[in-house]
Amino acid sequence: MSEAPHTVKSYEEELKNLNANIIKMGSACEDSLSKAIQAITSRDNNIAEAVIQEDEKIDKYETLIEQQVVNLIALRQPMAIDLRETVTALKMSSDLERIGDLAKNISKRTLLLNENLPKNLVDSLNRVSTNVQKQLKSTLDAYLERSAPMAVNVWEGDEQIDDLTNLCMQEVIKYLKENEKNLEDGTHLLFVTKNIERIGDHTTNVAEQVYYLVKGEYLEGDRPKGTEPIVTGEK
Amino acid sequence: MIKIKAKDVDVFYGKKQALFNISLDIEENQVTALIGPSGCGKSTFLRCLNRMNDVIDICSVKGEILINDFNINDKSCDVVRLREKIGMVFQKPNPFPKTLYENVSYGPTIHGMAQSKQEMDEIVETSLKKAALWEEVKDRLHEPGTGLSGGQQQRLCIARAISVRPEVILMDEPCSALDPIATAQIEELIDELKKEHTIIIVTHSMAQAARVSQNTGFFHLGQLIEHGSTDKIFKNPDNKKTQDYITGRFG
Ligand SMILES: Nc1ncnc2c1ncn2[C@@H]1O[C@H](COP(=O)(O)OP(=O)(O)OP(=O)(O)O)[C@@H](O)[C@H]1O
Ligand SMILES: [Mg+2]
Repeated sequence: MSEAPHTVKSYEEELKNLNANIIKMGSACEDSLSKAIQAITSRDNNIAEAVIQEDEKIDKYETLIEQQVVNLIALRQPMAIDLRETVTALKMSSDLERIGDLAKNISKRTLLLNENLPKNLVDSLNRVSTNVQKQLKSTLDAYLERSAPMAVNVWEGDEQIDDLTNLCMQEVIKYLKENEKNLEDGTHLLFVTKNIERIGDHTTNVAEQVYYLVKGEYLEGDRPKGTEPIVTGEK
Repeated sequence: MIKIKAKDVDVFYGKKQALFNISLDIEENQVTALIGPSGCGKSTFLRCLNRMNDVIDICSVKGEILINDFNINDKSCDVVRLREKIGMVFQKPNPFPKTLYENVSYGPTIHGMAQSKQEMDEIVETSLKKAALWEEVKDRLHEPGTGLSGGQQQRLCIARAISVRPEVILMDEPCSALDPIATAQIEELIDELKKEHTIIIVTHSMAQAARVSQNTGFFHLGQLIEHGSTDKIFKNPDNKKTQDYITGRFG
């Protein structure tokens, strides 16, 4: 944090600690997401199991951060930048927790998938997820550096994720139509794709919080939107 | 509506300058909180607004203070009338060593506000009611004011201040000697009083400034560093010094 230290050292410590926990929670989410993608694309059930297990750790961070926030508000009555640190930590932790859940859900579905997925689908999933992973990393960097422009970059990048998601969905739908036997795998893949997109949405929420934290005002305007999402397979 | 307009106000105690070029607009029927570290000039500024600095020999005030567009530093200003319009409540409750009734009727008496005993009774009753003290003291109006609890004494002083129907009430740390319940009562009272009066309160409690005021001014070393809506000052102040002060990072 670039601010001068508090006169009360224990208060300073508590805020630093909160900050550190958000970073740790964020890294845990990054880790889960990248493992979840690795597990599904390289068909590695061990890694998928690990992601499912590690979600518990992420949940615990959320509880811890919530307790710290409540304590700060009750006992320190934070103001100005400290208030924004405290409140955004609470909101960020709940978005990060959702990211952890979604990564876990991807891994659960991974365990149910057949061994051999068509290469084009794997590539397509990889494309969306690489993008989302980059976004998540940039968001956490923006938080670490208290950088509003970096947060805005992430925010604007959400559009591209929507587009890549739609492309991926189209391919999965094509795969579904090819053969009745693809029904089960195809359905899981639709959900997986959707989950990745939602991880992108939560990442964008976090980026909005970072912006508010730094600037003390909300990012104006509607979130940039890509092509309309595909609701049915007709077209 | 701007009730009070301070323009380029400088204050000196002898050769030592205590306020530097203060320009500040106070809005009518709102509560303005003045905050800042000890010795930054909050009380000095407050005293400028009803010419209380006049009584300090070495104190000299420069600049304009317009109340209802009239410069109170002008020679033609009637200071007695001014202090009738601009009431003051101090940090330590300071009831006169007289009865409750006399404490409240004192101002209206010297300003000749009542024509009869009955009229005076009414003024005393409404003032005590407005100060949220009536129910607690209506049966002991002729007992000494000094026999009340600290919180009650402070409300008595507020009743005394409002008995002359001032347009503005200046409060210098009115709750610093009070417990949280008495503080809450005074804060509730301030909220009520702002409907009819313009209130300026000096407080060392950031939480209190945030709770009671609509506008906040932050003073530091005799300068007004930042002034704006309380909401903005406590969520996202423009000035780094303001932020350092309200978040406890000073010095
Ligand atoms: N009667 C006086 N004679 C000389 N100097 C004075 C007098 N009153 C105040 N000062 C000086 O003027 C400056 C501002 O004092 P003031 O009382 O206005 O500060 P304040 O902000 O009200 O502080 P506090 O929060 O401690 O009440 C200080 O440096 C103080 O020493
Ligand atoms: Mg003072």
